[in-house]
Amino acid sequence: MTATIGHTSILLAFFMALCGVVCPIIAARSGQERYLSFARYAIFGQFLLVTTAAAALIYGLVTTDFSIKYVAFNTTRATPIYYRVTGLWGALEGSLLLWEWVLIIFSGIVARIYRDRHKDTMPWVILIFSIISLFFLGVIGFLSNPFEVMSPIPPDGRGLNPLLEDANMMTHPPLLYTGFVGLTVPYAFAMAALIVGKLDEAWIVSTRRWTIIAWFFLTVGNLVGAWWSYHVLGWGGYWAWDPVENAAFMPWLPATAFLHSIQVQERRRMLKVWNLSLIIIAFSLTIFGTFLTRSGILSSIHAFSSGPVGGFFLGFLAVILLASFGLVAYRADLLKEQPELDSMISRESAFLLNNIVLVSALFTIFLGTIFPLLSEAVAGVQVSVGAPYFNSVTVPLFLFLVFLMGVGPMIAWRRASWDNLRRNFLLPAAASLLFSLALFLWKVRDFLPLLGFTLLAFVVFSILYDTALALRARHRIAGEGILRGLVTLARRNQRRYGGLVVHLGVVLIMMGIAGSMSYSLEKEATLGVNQDLNIGNYRVQFQGLKGSQQPTHFRVEGAFRVFHNGNDEGIMNPALKFFPTQQAPIGRAVHRSSVSEDIYLILSGSSEVDRNQATLKVLVRPLVVWMWIGGFVIALGTLVCIWPMRKTDPAEP
Amino acid sequence: MRRNRRLLIGGLIIFATLSYMVYGGMKEAIVYFVTPSELKADDHARSDKFLRMGGMVVKGSLQKDLKNLTYRFELTDGNTTYPVFFKGVPPDLFTEGKGAVVEGRIGADGVFQATTIMAKHAEEYSPHADGQAQAKSFVPAKEVPTK
Repeated sequence: MTATIGHTSILLAFFMALCGVVCPIIAARSGQERYLSFARYAIFGQFLLVTTAAAALIYGLVTTDFSIKYVAFNTTRATPIYYRVTGLWGALEGSLLLWEWVLIIFSGIVARIYRDRHKDTMPWVILIFSIISLFFLGVIGFLSNPFEVMSPIPPDGRGLNPLLEDANMMTHPPLLYTGFVGLTVPYAFAMAALIVGKLDEAWIVSTRRWTIIAWFFLTVGNLVGAWWSYHVLGWGGYWAWDPVENAAFMPWLPATAFLHSIQVQERRRMLKVWNLSLIIIAFSLTIFGTFLTRSGILSSIHAFSSGPVGGFFLGFLAVILLASFGLVAYRADLLKEQPELDSMISRESAFLLNNIVLVSALFTIFLGTIFPLLSEAVAGVQVSVGAPYFNSVTVPLFLFLVFLMGVGPMIAWRRASWDNLRRNFLLPAAASLLFSLALFLWKVRDFLPLLGFTLLAFVVFSILYDTALALRARHRIAGEGILRGLVTLARRNQRRYGGLVVHLGVVLIMMGIAGSMSYSLEKEATLGVNQDLNIGNYRVQFQGLKGSQQPTHFRVEGAFRVFHNGNDEGIMNPALKFFPTQQAPIGRAVHRSSVSEDIYLILSGSSEVDRNQATLKVLVRPLVVWMWIGGFVIALGTLVCIWPMRKTDPAEP
Repeated sequence: MRRNRRLLIGGLIIFATLSYMVYGGMKEAIVYFVTPSELKADDHARSDKFLRMGGMVVKGSLQKDLKNLTYRFELTDGNTTYPVFFKGVPPDLFTEGKGAVVEGRIGADGVFQATTIMAKHAEEYSPHADGQAQAKSFVPAKEVPTK
């Protein structure tokens, strides 16, 4: 019953999406507005139907309706209720449904709030949304059906992968999908602008807030993924340059470039084709990412034929790229640029460099990710491209990006005068040089970390200095104090100050990455009771193993007393979980964070329970906690950017 | 014209720098995948290369010394076996009769000196489809590195 409701809803939604494709074309051709209304109602209809389908699947998961194959494969009777719900995105079929659901929610909101605006472009925006929705509904309805029934009905389900039973798994995929789907909004408006031939800045201005929101979810989605990797996978790292991670990270790069370069177009009418290309690439990469992670192509290129889903995604991707860039070429005469760069030392050129760096990073990561596939397909040689490749190419690029982050927001538009440079950068540069001297005298002697921390300090100093100057001006003009002045500044120029806060968040994340990349310690040993392991300033003393039966698994927990500089810091309990459905135990690593470093304990599956002997791996990773704090700072900055406020005084810049 | 030429030169410089970075990075970090048979067939030719070898851990071949954290075992692709030595903590999924991928070099004694062992971690797993999986399917699947 549940399965029937779900699948029928999807099929009905599919036909409604067809309606949504046909009606806007009729509306635009005939100029009859009622067809546009039909298309809009088709979107709302899809929203209701897809919501019903998603609710049906969630209902099936929660009530453990094992007649549905997807439910049987992703829950058990013992699975706690919240993990039953997250089973919705535990595997391919459900996660496609989640994607479509998020997409149709976004489409619905766009169709509703712009119902009386953009009369010329809206039909085409709705058309683009409908085409994408049609594709996903087709895949869900006909190829990868989450409502497939099973008979005979199994007595119990197989359960979610235990690694996915984690609070972050409840948030990571929806956050990431929201980011991916969010990019559809500027993409759809860009395509509509191309179709109509209205290529001024309107499409950028009306989707600016959407782009910021999508960027935010992409950022946080990736960060939560890194946190999950660190927290749950239990290998002590947060990023492995795994193809699946790269697939989620790649759209972030053109999206970030786009956020910066649209400011150049808004202000200087430059980079029109570039901006269109960036949003096309960013959107295509979200589809490419799904293809990469969901087609099975990663396990081997030969697995390709095993599922039709991958092929359809690749085909859809080809259509998107051809159609989008075809439209750009078709409108080439409307996209002629007028103004030129006035000077290499200007805000425009800083943005341009920022874009070049981000796109270069995308290019190198993309190459590293698909190189194994190309190598196997073309030369028949199986290779893998390891993390050292990605680190060696991206570290210099990102260091340069950090430098630009310190320069870009403060340098003048058009042509920076010597005076402007001296006023904005002399003090921050001097301060960061002093800072690097202090670091050197302290103990940071290696070139890359020293350069990295100096550049990060430069960004912080230049932001603080610029804000301090602005605050002093507020004090002079209106006699405002620091807090009052900050509020006024942020209110008058939300995007600028929100952006600066986001930059500070990025600095914190980079600081965590730089610290943990450069100065991590790692040690492993097999310990009997009361034996010690010494690492850095830590001494870890093994006190014993104990086992306990949990609802879904048997748990073996180790007790380790941790001493830092001789001080007793208490007990840490890394554990092993033995699931009946799995041959090998799942490790449950633990870590303790402080502002300066994390200590991370991994109990290995080779530990011998009956002999009360633990095989332990210990890592000390400096500054990791700042990555997560940086995430919160970025959230704060994004809020400052998009917080709805009364229109500011137009006289203010 | 001047503008176009400048764009072209700028683009070329950027492209050349990137290519150099990619080439340099790849040269250091590219890891060839071999099966035990392939490695056995010409291990002299590959003796200086950093390699990945995938196969099944031969049942009964695993000797572990937990005190020193050393592991000796043999990997097989069904035809040939190749001896492996590893020092460290392997992933929990690593066990006899299961697939594993090792990364490292061939030592002077003809034993593969692994620096990393990877075992498969699939999002959708199946407890009953046991060890039949071919080593190949383990290659670039989502792996849990041990370091």
